[in-house]
Amino acid sequence: MKTILDETRELASSTGNHYLEEAKKNGKKIIGYFCSYMPEEIIHAAGFIPYRMRAVESKSTTKADAYYSSINCTFVKHCFNKALNGDFAFLDGVVFVNGCDHSRRMYDNWRYAGIGNSFLYMFFAPHKLGDNALEYYLKECKKLKSAMEKKFQVSITDETLKESIRLYNQKRRLLADIYSMRNKKDVPIKASELLGVMLAVTAVPVEKAIDILTGVKKFLEGRVVSKPDEMRLFISGGCIEEVDHLELIENCGCVIVADNICLGSRHFLDEIKTEGDSLQAIAHRYLNHLSCPRMMGDFNRRFDYLLDVRNEYGVDGAIIEKLKFCDIWGGEIYLYRQETKTNNVPLLALEREIYGGGAGQIKTRVQAFLEKLKNKQATDESLVQASGADYKPKL
Amino acid sequence: MKAKLNPKPFEYLEWSAKFLKLGYRLSVLPYLGYWILRLSRPLYVDRETFFNRKFRYAFLILGGGILPVEEIRPYRLGAKAFVDNMENVIKAEQNGKPVVWVEWILSSEIVNAFNAIPFNPETLSVFGNLSGKDVPSRLMEEAESRGFATENCSAIKVTAGAYMLGQSPKPAAIIAGSHPCDTNVSAYQSIAHLTGAPVFYFDAPYWRDEDAFSYYEKNMWDLISFLEKTLHQKINWEKLKQVVDNENKFNFYMHEICEMMRAIPSPATMITPVYSWVVREIAIGDPNGTEMARQMYEVVKDRYNKGIGVVKKENIRVLWWNPPIAFFAYVFKWMEDEFGAVVVKDFIGDVQMPQIDTSSEETMIHDMARNHLYLAMARQCHGPVEFILSELEQAIEEFSPDCLIFAGHAGCKHGWGVIGIIKDFLKKRGMPSLFMNMDIMDQRHATEEDIKRWITDFFRSNGFV
Repeated sequence: MKTILDETRELASSTGNHYLEEAKKNGKKIIGYFCSYMPEEIIHAAGFIPYRMRAVESKSTTKADAYYSSINCTFVKHCFNKALNGDFAFLDGVVFVNGCDHSRRMYDNWRYAGIGNSFLYMFFAPHKLGDNALEYYLKECKKLKSAMEKKFQVSITDETLKESIRLYNQKRRLLADIYSMRNKKDVPIKASELLGVMLAVTAVPVEKAIDILTGVKKFLEGRVVSKPDEMRLFISGGCIEEVDHLELIENCGCVIVADNICLGSRHFLDEIKTEGDSLQAIAHRYLNHLSCPRMMGDFNRRFDYLLDVRNEYGVDGAIIEKLKFCDIWGGEIYLYRQETKTNNVPLLALEREIYGGGAGQIKTRVQAFLEKLKNKQATDESLVQASGADYKPKL
Repeated sequence: MKAKLNPKPFEYLEWSAKFLKLGYRLSVLPYLGYWILRLSRPLYVDRETFFNRKFRYAFLILGGGILPVEEIRPYRLGAKAFVDNMENVIKAEQNGKPVVWVEWILSSEIVNAFNAIPFNPETLSVFGNLSGKDVPSRLMEEAESRGFATENCSAIKVTAGAYMLGQSPKPAAIIAGSHPCDTNVSAYQSIAHLTGAPVFYFDAPYWRDEDAFSYYEKNMWDLISFLEKTLHQKINWEKLKQVVDNENKFNFYMHEICEMMRAIPSPATMITPVYSWVVREIAIGDPNGTEMARQMYEVVKDRYNKGIGVVKKENIRVLWWNPPIAFFAYVFKWMEDEFGAVVVKDFIGDVQMPQIDTSSEETMIHDMARNHLYLAMARQCHGPVEFILSELEQAIEEFSPDCLIFAGHAGCKHGWGVIGIIKDFLKKRGMPSLFMNMDIMDQRHATEEDIKRWITDFFRSNGFV
């Protein structure tokens, strides 16, 4: 019998879905967006469905290669290739963000290629925190709101924004509940399954996402997927949207229990305040949420998050990933390497291409890393002392 | 010949300062300097060898014996500005002066208004070549071997490697920014960790409207507070006014030179604005730099009035897109010499900055914010592709180029991200174009010989020569 996780996996594996089709039939508009720095609530408050852009189902980058070069990011090229193929024709608009140099250029290429979506908008998110950045981010929110109102002849009021905030906070709370179930010894959901859930709930109306998450939460009660001897890992990176990829890692003998990825903690941590001016509250949450390395001068906060969850979730080691030619995550890997040494967190840094194969190589590296972790744990002096004469290596 | 694995502290910076100082002194008699460069050409022009390694690059950037005498005079003043900055940096510790790193593409006026030494940490990307053109690559290898991302822009890898090998001063503070590319966003977070210095990050807006200028202006006020707090000093507004006055003059002269290069034949060589850009990067507001710009302007104006070109016969007018090649800056003079090909407009040397109103503290900061967003690279690299296309369109309309050379720097992924649009744009305008896959600071991607070959083949295959 099909479980709720089977359903989310199905939703995760396709670009469109029946919920969107249904909404479309009912006259709802669907607006695609990139990046966790784009406030979904503004789109929702206009009466539309925010849809997180994705490269799933992409088979190649042939068409996009004519616009980009060989040293540009494959996630971006796959998404753009899909756009050129008409796979995003169901969208009524796309909001781009200056998340990185590769993705911001999609705004240019999309317009130049004349892809049919009628509303193409660039949303600027500052690269730093602070009062001036917040003020500018708020202005950007107001501009996006006005642009949508003008383009679609709709009105986004404080009431509709408040309702959107309420719904998205509810979604965040459910996700936080599900994520926190992984801090127990017996983990009820694999990260690969959770990534499927994330992909699903960012591609359907939020009301439906809440239903799905409620179902998932219920389904996970009493469920155990981890094995006692499995290593518990933290994963950090940018575009990770391949369920298979996380499955491959977890099948090597570990369970990923926490993360800092776009389709992970960054998406749901930190709720939006419900009192006061709604746009101000939205701006505050989106600018200050758990950051990605595109935010300058915020590494300590990002790394502190890892240290916090290490204790809370019993993390044995961390994996950090970047896609080839990604400067932003390349720099983060350097910082992780320095700080994980200082803080005694075993680290594996992976570089890969999205939908680019190389599974064998990744598997070998993960297996070697896990073996190293297990050996370390087995011979850890403090463990030997704590166990006294009864000490037996785990392996 | 390979660069040393463990150079002495400040070895490359000291050599640069010493050699440039020698050049400055010798060129007090510019004819003597000219003839030394001219007569010794066979010793260094073709390629770097064991014997010419320590002087070839300097001789080449001084025109390799084919830069007219009247231009050597102003170059001398630029060299003085470099030497003063380098010597101040090297002696900063013993003189008890704080060194503030100001990342390239930003500007150091405000640091100059403090009792501090501004240092462009990417200096050795260019001047490292004075010690041998493999020195910048050696510094990058050091950074890469210690975990710096290989895809980062080579300029910042040089910065990191130089610091790791004791070739740069310890910063009291660092000023970095989010433009022109992701490397800056990312690598300066790594450099902050590496040096332990407090960093102020400029955030460049995407658009170029009033809100964007205002945001950048607020960044500038925040910078002043940051420096006052970090250096335990108050800004000297009078000093800032002097620096900006000099900068205004500098920009005026350079802007005029760039405008005169529309003339056919072009009265100036592109190496002049590019050399000035390096002076700007290292020592903006230095009176020697401003006097250099004035003298350059006089030389070019004189040629312009007489209708004389910088080469005897101008065969090809070239538009150069992306920054010049640091390890082969002589490429402009080489093209002039070999083919009569003159670069009439480029990406870096072209000055389009508005003047700064120095009547009050507020107007200075207000205008400086605008000025900085029109600096080379800042103006083309942030924002939508229209910022690039409009500049290219204007260049094609107004500078009558015959072709375009795209120095495809590996670090500029934002530029490569719209390469299809740029190619299409040039094709529609019938502009023959050469796209080079290379790295402007790292000859491990493509060497001087590769670049010469590509350009030669391009000119030949398009019937220019």
